Amino acid sequence: MTTTDDAKTQIDETVKSNDVVLYMKGSKAMPQCGFSSRVAGVLNYMGVDYKDVDVLADNDIRQGIKDYSDWPTIPQLYVKGEFVGGCDIITEMTLSGELDKLFEQNGVTYDKDAADKIREANG
Amino acid sequence: MTRTERIETRLREAFSPAHLEVRDDSESHRGHAGYQEGGESHFVVVIRAKAFEDKSRIARHRAVHEALGKELVSEIHALSLDIDT
Repeated sequence: MTTTDDAKTQIDETVKSNDVVLYMKGSKAMPQCGFSSRVAGVLNYMGVDYKDVDVLADNDIRQGIKDYSDWPTIPQLYVKGEFVGGCDIITEMTLSGELDKLFEQNGVTYDKDAADKIREANG
Repeated sequence: MTRTERIETRLREAFSPAHLEVRDDSESHRGHAGYQEGGESHFVVVIRAKAFEDKSRIARHRAVHEALGKELVSEIHALSLDIDT
């Protein structure tokens, strides 16, 4: 399977015109997979303003996003057009405080107290 | 060879890990998307190897994906990786 040009263009525009984008299965309000749910849950809890893209709604995007980042799994988080990681990496970065730093460096607003609470509960 | 064995073999060959644990976690996803009868759909891999030194998180994951190969990765529904040196 290869990506259609349309899908690639669409993905490129989406990740470049939104500061934070999560490609996921389902929506941020109703995730359809445990791994997507975990990352959306972290971002929701931290009060991050992000765009969610449901890959289950479009097969071209579902395949296209894997080719775009050369990454075989969903969810995928993008900040300022850059691929950050999937569920394992985002979980690790949340607990280590690296995600806070990444948001600060990129001017993304988030609730520091909420992030600290996640770390306290999982420390 | 089962998928578990294939994953183990490829990771041992590629990284000579000091510690390697490949767990079939499919049962805890029974009834969820991607579950296959007989398991071997959801895996948890814990790997510790010197080969991951000086590599970013993304580079570590990419190295594991590459060692497993596209075909095996596409057969697995979910792969959770815990990678460190």
